Amino acid sequence: MPHDDIAGRGTQDPTAGRVATKERTETPAADPASSGLDTLAGARYSTNEADDLRSLEAGLDRLQTDDARGTNAWRTFTTSVLPPIIFVVVLIAAWQVYVWIVQPRPDIVPSPISVVTAISDAWQSDRLQTAVLTSLERGVFGFLIAVVVGTPLGLLLAEVKPLRRAIGPIISGLQVLPSVAWVPAAILWFGLTDATVYFVVLMGATPSIINGLISGVEQVPPQLRRVGTVLGAGPARLATLVVLPAALPGYVAGLKQGWAFSWRSLMAAEIIATGGTIGFGLGSMLDQSRELADLAGVLATILVILAIGILIELVFFAPLERRMLRRRGLLQGGTK
Amino acid sequence: MSGQAAIRIEQLGKRFGAGPLVLDDVNLSIESGEFVCLLGASGCGKSTLLNLIAGLDRPTTGAIDVPAEGAAVMFQESALMPWLTARQNVELALRLRGVARTARRAEALELLDTVNLADAAEKRPHELSGGMRQRVALARALAQDRPVLLMDEPFAALDAITRDLLHEELERVWRRTGRTIVFVTHNVREAARLGQRVVLLSSRPGRVAGEWRIAETSGRRIESPEVAALSIEITEQLRKEIRRNAA
Ligand SMILES: Nc1ncnc2c1ncn2[C@@H]1O[C@H](COP(=O)(O)OP(=O)(O)O)[C@@H](O)[C@H]1O
Ligand SMILES: [Mg+2]
Repeated sequence: MPHDDIAGRGTQDPTAGRVATKERTETPAADPASSGLDTLAGARYSTNEADDLRSLEAGLDRLQTDDARGTNAWRTFTTSVLPPIIFVVVLIAAWQVYVWIVQPRPDIVPSPISVVTAISDAWQSDRLQTAVLTSLERGVFGFLIAVVVGTPLGLLLAEVKPLRRAIGPIISGLQVLPSVAWVPAAILWFGLTDATVYFVVLMGATPSIINGLISGVEQVPPQLRRVGTVLGAGPARLATLVVLPAALPGYVAGLKQGWAFSWRSLMAAEIIATGGTIGFGLGSMLDQSRELADLAGVLATILVILAIGILIELVFFAPLERRMLRRRGLLQGGTK
Repeated sequence: MSGQAAIRIEQLGKRFGAGPLVLDDVNLSIESGEFVCLLGASGCGKSTLLNLIAGLDRPTTGAIDVPAEGAAVMFQESALMPWLTARQNVELALRLRGVARTARRAEALELLDTVNLADAAEKRPHELSGGMRQRVALARALAQDRPVLLMDEPFAALDAITRDLLHEELERVWRRTGRTIVFVTHNVREAARLGQRVVLLSSRPGRVAGEWRIAETSGRRIESPEVAALSIEITEQLRKEIRRNAA
């Protein structure tokens, strides 16, 4: 179809050119600057040549763009879902085989089966459900507080240069500081209460969110701002209609990292700060198993903590990020 | 030629900070509805002049008169918002112009149809070819509904076939809408193909070094003999200007 268009133009072209030349010699007074004749010329132009141009452009457009390839679900499954699953299965099998052959002391190397048993015991005694719900609630709530605090701070620092020069390096520094370091201070300030846990989570997650937003705003191409200005946007609408949407990839990356830091900080706080009015979370469960020298229980809890972290990433952040990047054509790997 | 001046530039000078003079004593009067090509070597100050006309920068000396409604600008890179579809990109311009929400969609589709892109309205910039992106950018510039359209090497990054088509497209849009167009390019043939008037800028400092008026502009193609003849003439002058810097 596109080939037909180009071929069609090639054969018609000389005739069209000749006709146009003839017209020109016959009406030398057709001065395009005088408006009356201009519209006349425009009308003639739009009937004959516009259709020609339209089909020509349609052909070229078709040639120069790929048809959107649909994502192949099976391909996604075999290339990105299957490999880690196979790896984990092989790992567990090797572990079990090792236990069978070497027969190490079960209190030093428990078998996969005893770890699974520990998980199901914890489930039956309701300890697992309580711990997961408590930790998840704190993690999510703490993370949301960090978002509410970090977002306006990040925007402020991104848009006010002097402020960023003064505070930016300190925020980056805070990102390096392990948030466990805040636990003793938090205990002294807030005692063994939920406030201690939330404070540590906040200190862990906020710097990532702020930094993500700042780097997102920094990476906004200057020509987009310039176009916004040319289109007549004032500072407020430039920020909401151009800068913020353009900074979204950096912001989402910051949120993702912020969640990871929230979860880590929460576990650290729960392991160290137990007792008082602090409820029973996964960190507390981990610490309890250690006191009982129950290695199977410890490993079981670690697996649960890991699984929850991965699950939140997979069901929440990964689709969010993928959708956003795909819409902008920033996703690598051919999927449109 | 008749008609009143849409843009009047008088004794314009521009330098950046304490740097050398980029533009010196530029005088130019552009009529309403005129298609002017600003031609010059790279770095001679074409973009600087265009930004001054657009009001993105201030002149050091001299004065520029532009219509009160201002000018629409199109750049070499399409600079479309990557998170918006073609239609939404045009709608953004309409929104910033103050068009009511209900009227935006229809008007955006109409503008996209003007540049033969009605079918691609729901595509995002990364799904469009370079030429299509520039046409969306053109539709967006038209959406601003300003009497003056400033274009800074808008087709420089396109392949020759696409550029050729966009020349025809732009010429058609110009005839249909009656906009005043200032088209910046470093491509002599492009200037000779498109302009009613070609203004040559010299380098260091930028001054008006020559002007050509083309009486008959309809039916031109990049390969037309009259375009070739004019290109040779302009290139001669351009080379003379460049050679002067050797001494
Ligand atoms: N913002 C700026 N600050 C300092 N010098 C500039 C700036 N913009 C342009 N120049 C200088 O002005 C001269 C003309 O630049 P420009 O107008 O971009 O040229 P052109 O568009 O003709 O290639 C160049 O020498 C460039 O270095
Ligand atoms: Mg330039």
